[in-house]
Amino acid sequence: MTPTPGQSTRPERPRLRARTVGIAAALMAFSIFAAREVGFDPSTFWEVWSNPLWGKFWPIPWDWVFDSRNVLQPFVETLQIATISTILGCGLALPISFAMSSLTTPNRPTYLVSRAVMNVVRAVPDLFWAKLMVTAIGIGAFAGAWALTIFSLAVMVKLFSETVDGADPGPLEAARAAGGRHAPSLRTGILPTVFPDYVAHALYVFELNVRASVVLGLVGAGGIGRVLEAQRQFFRFDRVLGMLVIIFVVVWVIEQVSVSLRKRLI
Amino acid sequence: MTATTQRPAPPRWTGERRGAIGVVLLVAMVWSISGLDVTLDRLLGAPSDAWAILRQMIPPAFARVAARGAVGKVFESVYIAWIGTVIGAVLSLPLAFMAAHNVAPIWIRVPIRQLFNAIRAVPELILAVILIPITGLGPWAGTLAIGIHSIGTLGKWATESIESIDSGPIEAVESTGGRWVSSMRWAVFPQVMSTISSYWLFRFEINVRASAVLGMIGAGGVGSELVSHLVFRDFPAASAVLVLTVGVVLTIDTISASVRRRIITGSVGSDDSSRSSEALADLTGIKHK
Amino acid sequence: MIRLEDVSVTYPGGVEALRGIDLTIDDGEFVVVVGLSGAGKSTLLRVLNGLVPATSGSVVVDGTEVVGASAATLRQVRSRIGMIFQTFNLVNRTSVLNNVLMGRLSVVPAWRSTLGLWPAEDREAAMAALERVGIVDKAYVRASNLSGGQQQRVGIARALAQEPGLMLADEPVAALDPVTSRQVMGDLQKINRELGITTLVNLHFLDLAKEYGRRLIGLRDGKMIFDGDIADVDDDTFRDIYGRSITDEDLLAMGDSPTDGSEGG
Repeated sequence: MTPTPGQSTRPERPRLRARTVGIAAALMAFSIFAAREVGFDPSTFWEVWSNPLWGKFWPIPWDWVFDSRNVLQPFVETLQIATISTILGCGLALPISFAMSSLTTPNRPTYLVSRAVMNVVRAVPDLFWAKLMVTAIGIGAFAGAWALTIFSLAVMVKLFSETVDGADPGPLEAARAAGGRHAPSLRTGILPTVFPDYVAHALYVFELNVRASVVLGLVGAGGIGRVLEAQRQFFRFDRVLGMLVIIFVVVWVIEQVSVSLRKRLI
Repeated sequence: MTATTQRPAPPRWTGERRGAIGVVLLVAMVWSISGLDVTLDRLLGAPSDAWAILRQMIPPAFARVAARGAVGKVFESVYIAWIGTVIGAVLSLPLAFMAAHNVAPIWIRVPIRQLFNAIRAVPELILAVILIPITGLGPWAGTLAIGIHSIGTLGKWATESIESIDSGPIEAVESTGGRWVSSMRWAVFPQVMSTISSYWLFRFEINVRASAVLGMIGAGGVGSELVSHLVFRDFPAASAVLVLTVGVVLTIDTISASVRRRIITGSVGSDDSSRSSEALADLTGIKHK
Repeated sequence: MIRLEDVSVTYPGGVEALRGIDLTIDDGEFVVVVGLSGAGKSTLLRVLNGLVPATSGSVVVDGTEVVGASAATLRQVRSRIGMIFQTFNLVNRTSVLNNVLMGRLSVVPAWRSTLGLWPAEDREAAMAALERVGIVDKAYVRASNLSGGQQQRVGIARALAQEPGLMLADEPVAALDPVTSRQVMGDLQKINRELGITTLVNLHFLDLAKEYGRRLIGLRDGKMIFDGDIADVDDDTFRDIYGRSITDEDLLAMGDSPTDGSEGG
């Protein structure tokens, strides 16, 4: 029996649930409260442009910037920190990622412990690690390398364990069915499949590390950031800007190389 | 089908390639370590130094730290992250539409995309460093730094989201004669908003960590507490601040992750029809799958 | 020799995959297992090499008890059992040879296989296995570049490289076209006859079962409904196993198989 217009039961127009409205209102209230707490000041937006301090950023003293002792050598140090941190951090991340994935973990306790430990490690802000290292080890590139190693480990584990979770479990089953032990089964059954992603992630981590070590220097952990911080404290903003320009260019170059290398891997 | 076939010659370069990569890695390691002013006694001494400090960190001095107002500082970090994310989200959304290739013409979207890249290239800490002379020390500098940086990341993610939508609904709106704005409102918006809002929450999680860090240079939040304790080598207090921070970060991460999951699977904002059909089934005893 | 005594398997979700299976298989037999999806064919195979633990009962393979065995014992048992999968389970990104070498995992020291330093004699065994299935010329080709039938041959070679006494094939031809399916089944039959390896094959297609099987086991809902010579099987028996009339879906190639014409449905 075909329903004639006006006779079929039309559904009620869905009204906005009280709960949704309540949540939205709560979020708004929280935002207003938080804005007051942080000193929300929209006038800053246009004050920023008219501040006379901007004059100090210009002109950029290129002769100082290109003097190798000032910028080039610290940058080399930055690259060295980034390299060793990437190698160590990503190296450690490989077995830890395998331990963290239900597909490849050797046993349940390892699985639970590795996940718990990594959750805590990733919950600590990266620069906190840097400051801890600097305090424990002393100022310099050595501390920075340790801090970035932990940072690399955290990022790599996050990226790579997702890759491992999504890998084809078939060959691994075949390896186990042939009587293989745990490590050889992983090496022959899973590793070849996930390795290109691993290398791509590692290149990305290297990129992040170069950028991060700029910032690391602000807490005294060596590299170009230390020079940056020193110049900032002397209010030599023109030099700061010059360095930032150089950093920007180098990071951009590394990013382009990294992107093209990664494309070839996947 | 066992035909007799020839054994092929092994390719020449597999073993050599692996060896070459190993050598490159080794050289890279040696080169990078050489620049790190590492001496043998430093290397050997590091674990025991770290262990000594670790021992001093237990037990954490919660009472002392709370008395100094550390808990308030932790909350301040959360507020900074929240407002920063809100600023980033609100400003990045319209810009993201203008940067998407299925929405905006090339002479608008290329500059905006470059703007996103430029902003993303500057870490929040550097932004804060630049802003502090202008805004003064305090949470507002941190908030602005996070907000501006978030425009870059959120903008890029939102643009990618917008560009990956189904173009069908857009065509449908155009075919009814609707204008560009209507197309955005009815065809694009509903498809992307769930993904984009989950990105906002994800960015909030990251920003909480960032705001804790910004405190270290005086831009508000708990970082300043950590630094002062470490500088005075008051390790029990430092570990208390750490535990507080980690606790808050983990809590926010967990809540945010479950909210994000619900947003993506669409149970947030669903209408009442599912509930009424459940009520009907109970009443009549008929179970519908 | 394989003996199952009152073997039952219940999966964690509560699904009873096998109920009270009693089975004895002598060395050198070629056995075909048929049944609906979910009847327990895959579970039956996997209970033999311990990939699926039996919930109760006893599984003895060549004198070793598999149920409740230690990890080391399981590995030992598995080293003598070769397994072939429906989806081939090859590592797509690497060479055919590296895939076949996986069959030597139980023999090669762990550190050597983890580092990828396979001894010469194991490489030789892998090559010999490839020669036996007739695709040794593809030894260094990337596995994903081969056709489905060739990939399954690699799977067979991998199992052969173990020098096994028992071969388990879990729906080995389900993903292959009719012609290739017959080639692979022919290979399995040949291996059984020439090398005397006990062979257990899960099959979905009835005409293939009839063509290549000697002894047939029919499973339904985890129970063994039929166990006997393939010559004693008629279409009524198939109906018992499948619980319904035969349809064309149960036959590999319509009109090609030498049945007595009673294709129902």
